[in-house]
Amino acid sequence: MSSNRLPIRGGELLDRSTNLSFTWNGRAYSGHEGDTIASALAAAGVEIFSRGMKYHRRRGILTANHWDPNLSVQVGDEPNVRAGSRRLVDGMQVSAQNVWPSLRWDLGAVNRLVGRYLSAGFYYKTFMRPQFLWHNLYQRVLRKFAPGGRVHWKTGTHGEYDKRYAHPDVLVAGGGPAGMAAALSAAEAGASVMLVEQEPELGGHLRWGGPDDLAVLADLNRAVHSTPGIEVLCDSIVTGRYDHNWVAVVQRNHEIAPERLIKARVGSLIVAPGLVERPYVFAGNDLPGVMLAGAVRRLINLWAVKPGNRAVVLSANSEGDAAVADLESAGVEVVAVLDARAGEDVVGARGRGRVTSVQTGDGRTLKADLLVTATGWTAPTSLLNMAGDRPVYDRIAARYFPQSLPDNVLVTGGIAGDGSTTELTAHGRETGSLAAQRALRLRHDRLTQTPRSATPDSALPAAIADNRIPLRRSPHPECYRSTTHGLVDYSEDVSSKDLIQATGEGFDSIELMKRYTTVTMGPGQGKLETVNAAAVLAEARAVEMADIGTTVWRPPFSPVSLGALAGRIFEPVRRSALQNWHETNGATNLLAGQWVRPDHYGDPMTEASNVRENVGIIDVTPLGKLDLRGPDVANLLDLVYVNRWQKLEVGRVRYGAMVAEDGVVSDDGVTGRLADSHYLMTTTSSGAAAVWEMLEDWLQTYRPDWEVHVTPVTGGLTSINVAGPRSRELLERLVENVDLSAGAFPYFSVRTGTVSGVQDCIIWRIGFTGELSYELHVPSGHALHVWESLLSNGSDLGVAPFGIEAQRILRLEKGHYIVGQDTDGLSKASTAGLGGLVKLDKADTIGLPELRAAFERTDLPVLVGLQPDDPMIVPDEACQIVEAGSNEILGRVTSSRMSPTLGRSVCLAQVDPSLASAGTAVTVQLVDGRRITATVQEHHAHVDPEGARQRV
Amino acid sequence: MIVVPCPNCGPRNSSDLRNAGELVSRPDPDTASLTEWRSYLYLRENPAGWVTETWYCRTGCRRYFTIERNTATNEIRDSENS
Amino acid sequence: MSELDFVSPVASGALSASGGGIALEDLSDRSKVLVRAGRSTAAGTHLKVTYGHSRRRRDGTLICGSRPDEWTLIADPGQGAELLASLPDEGFVSVVDITHGRAMFRLSGPDSVDALAKVCNIDLADDMTPDGAVFSASVAKVTCDLVRSDVADRRTYLISCERSFGRFLFAAIADACAEFGIDVPEDISMH
Repeated sequence: MSSNRLPIRGGELLDRSTNLSFTWNGRAYSGHEGDTIASALAAAGVEIFSRGMKYHRRRGILTANHWDPNLSVQVGDEPNVRAGSRRLVDGMQVSAQNVWPSLRWDLGAVNRLVGRYLSAGFYYKTFMRPQFLWHNLYQRVLRKFAPGGRVHWKTGTHGEYDKRYAHPDVLVAGGGPAGMAAALSAAEAGASVMLVEQEPELGGHLRWGGPDDLAVLADLNRAVHSTPGIEVLCDSIVTGRYDHNWVAVVQRNHEIAPERLIKARVGSLIVAPGLVERPYVFAGNDLPGVMLAGAVRRLINLWAVKPGNRAVVLSANSEGDAAVADLESAGVEVVAVLDARAGEDVVGARGRGRVTSVQTGDGRTLKADLLVTATGWTAPTSLLNMAGDRPVYDRIAARYFPQSLPDNVLVTGGIAGDGSTTELTAHGRETGSLAAQRALRLRHDRLTQTPRSATPDSALPAAIADNRIPLRRSPHPECYRSTTHGLVDYSEDVSSKDLIQATGEGFDSIELMKRYTTVTMGPGQGKLETVNAAAVLAEARAVEMADIGTTVWRPPFSPVSLGALAGRIFEPVRRSALQNWHETNGATNLLAGQWVRPDHYGDPMTEASNVRENVGIIDVTPLGKLDLRGPDVANLLDLVYVNRWQKLEVGRVRYGAMVAEDGVVSDDGVTGRLADSHYLMTTTSSGAAAVWEMLEDWLQTYRPDWEVHVTPVTGGLTSINVAGPRSRELLERLVENVDLSAGAFPYFSVRTGTVSGVQDCIIWRIGFTGELSYELHVPSGHALHVWESLLSNGSDLGVAPFGIEAQRILRLEKGHYIVGQDTDGLSKASTAGLGGLVKLDKADTIGLPELRAAFERTDLPVLVGLQPDDPMIVPDEACQIVEAGSNEILGRVTSSRMSPTLGRSVCLAQVDPSLASAGTAVTVQLVDGRRITATVQEHHAHVDPEGARQRV
Repeated sequence: MIVVPCPNCGPRNSSDLRNAGELVSRPDPDTASLTEWRSYLYLRENPAGWVTETWYCRTGCRRYFTIERNTATNEIRDSENS
Repeated sequence: MSELDFVSPVASGALSASGGGIALEDLSDRSKVLVRAGRSTAAGTHLKVTYGHSRRRRDGTLICGSRPDEWTLIADPGQGAELLASLPDEGFVSVVDITHGRAMFRLSGPDSVDALAKVCNIDLADDMTPDGAVFSASVAKVTCDLVRSDVADRRTYLISCERSFGRFLFAAIADACAEFGIDVPEDISMH
């Protein structure tokens, strides 16, 4: 392989004492510390890095930096790595993307032969119909040819991503000379500063400049690193700016994670990304060997790579002129310099796989293997767009400038104007001071407004006016397209011809044209393409550039990996104090909301039968529990429950149902009165948080005169339901100072006592399972002791734990509905069968008018007990109830289980009121399409509808 | 993510709070007609501009309070406990 | 009652980095009492701190102004009854023992601020959350009460959450600490 590595250059980033080995498409290569993947390959003579997306033409280096559209590669299992900026690491396995079977022999290149069919809107026009082909053919084939690397989602070893929050006073997006100067002066003014630079080192364009530039850079670097209060993040990108200066930074230079997402709340954001050099549109502008002036300057000066042997340079500015000097110093023969300022032009580049000749505007053909263009700059105003700005076009300077910015967003550097290094750093310093001063005023406000914070140690800093001397706007010729057609968007393979065609088809606004042709929609998000696209459109419509506008740049500023956005994922899981016991004793878990809890311990049917026959214990800690205290608790309960509460005596518990203001059943549970003005409320497990917030809302905003304190105690009280005919006998062995006899402790009562030596346990007698049962609420630090005592003291009584599945069977046998399962987002209290409970004559209760209206209606669905006529068929929950002879839906099965007690299937169902009377035969459509008959029952309860078992 | 000035906690990320919606007044449930009640339930001004809304400081002080917020710009000019 | 062992929601013992830069300990067994008072009651005067601040009483109890008209008292294990007795009983005041209801951890060391910043969006700078500051926030998506309570100039945060989240939160914070040298035991590893 040939070597294009030059002798040592003054500003090169290479550590030539190192030797890093890597592979490119399976072949071994080497480079140095400081090389990018692209520079190491270019130094070794590699010219082709990728293939175009549609036509699969060979592609080489274009910009030699982060934005290079031709340098997306796969590194190991990481796709879409930007080889123009990613630094080489020893052992990297690099390969080309979007080629098949290989980069050299790419089958997709046949698309060139049919190229005229792949023009604007091709996808929309071609792959729409017939639809079945989309699934069977188009998708598969397009995927094969689609750009982008491969995600190894099963075998990926790409590591864990990370996340952190930050609160800098000033965040500087861009570490060129102006950004560095801004960071320095902001820090000197007392602001905390985050300086973010997308390249691995600071300096921007100074890095590839001459000795003077390098000297300035060295000074700036020294100052930045020795000034306290500046956090420097290189190899990191500000990807978005959102409301109130919420700024996203993807940090890549961190040792513990491939990428870390920083969510920063920023006082002042300084946008200093510099300028992005624009390609020139002409025939053959995507041939390898056509490069931007910046690309050759970086290759030569940063990485000591000779970019070619015979160069033609088209220059419209000083960057082009500097490139000529750099080329000559690197030993490249400069065949011709075409001065665009004097009207000279390039109309074409020719060659197969690499430029071999260049055609000039005046008809000459020049033999060359390198064509360098320097035709102007694009201001990457993305972050400004995100802050609400619509930058305006300046014809004289041939680029866009910010128009109006909020006070907390400032610009400096090339995006603000032109100047010498001295002028740019001076502007940066003034911008940094202004930004710091504004941010410190905000910090002062924050300190004043936040009770926990320290008292500000100084007065509010005075507001200072923006007296910065604006950077000038240097004239620049408007060089966008030559007299020939070429590519506008390299990532998406969109040519100027496509854009003109789209205009002809009526897509003549920039936003429509973008979506129709996909121009600017590639990974670079229009950094290279947007202005050229607007220029071609202006030309096609024969209007001024300024009248075209630009597409709106939205986040992200630069491609972001999904891993970085996902960051560290937190999915909090709640565990009762008994969960460890459950897991070491054979429980199969279930995730119910955030709670992990036992579904069963092996055989739920046996567990349920044991409750009916002996005694079972279940951990029901997830039940929401709210401690209510104060003289107005009964008033609150009257407001939030549909039933009455004023007369609940101390020592008694009552069932209550809640509806929302629209009359829909929202939650239910049991509330007990422990003392005169002390109650314990239980809610459904999933509704606990919502009920708490709801109670606070009513107390704070509606009845602030009521004295009630609500304290959630869900996890602090471990709840154990002891259920079954022998539950009293078991508890009598463990409970001290509470008389458990039926007379002293009747159904729906509450007592406080000591259980197995644990004081302050609340015991209430209720019956979700339909059996004699007691619910113990035990201080959680001692819950395991109580649980184990129940088991060890009840072995002769047949005590056994049961899980959620057994409880569901038992409550369904008993016909108890579950809010959210047997009711839905439309179920009014009348549907749930709460007619006896609801008191419509209260003066105030939540949803009162809707409750009254609902009970006047006769067309609402009714919840009924239902039994399939074939007792062995257990319909799936949510099976539809239909009219026998048609598909008309008349209801659905809401709960369904095999009952171990009855030896037959039992259900609850919501049905049309015409089907609600006992004995009605209904038709249930099963999942497999079969239809069965079932009969509506008199009661919801299938077992013991009279409630005799629980009242013993 | 906007910053919401909680009158008790100071400025906080909106993810720490819950927007409880436009401030509406509740008719007397005992005497309101169904039409009045359903206006209260479902009808909102939803302006592109200034709106008075209630927020709940979920992970902070757990207090409900109202602010005036411009829905077009997210400018916020006032906050007080409910 | 005979002395029963208090079972913490967290099984792991204290974790610390070898260099001393960070440590995480379970303090769930500490006595914790929640006091809530009506606006016009004497409790505020008696407890002498307002929302956002904390102070240590002569008997060692840490009194935190945890919300408007709400205080959390933290003391050594087994002090719950004494804490309850030490409070005024006048006007509309509610006192709830939340010892069993809250898990509590101590995160300390110079690196604790950077570890906490990975899981909590509050500005932890010295002026925004100075020593003694009390605040509530989401930590790894769990709502927590936090107190900055430095011990002899060692930066220290007390973090408490609803008991049932305790095991998750301990593991999540430990995971955030791994970067600073804590070896996370296998049984609470999140990876």
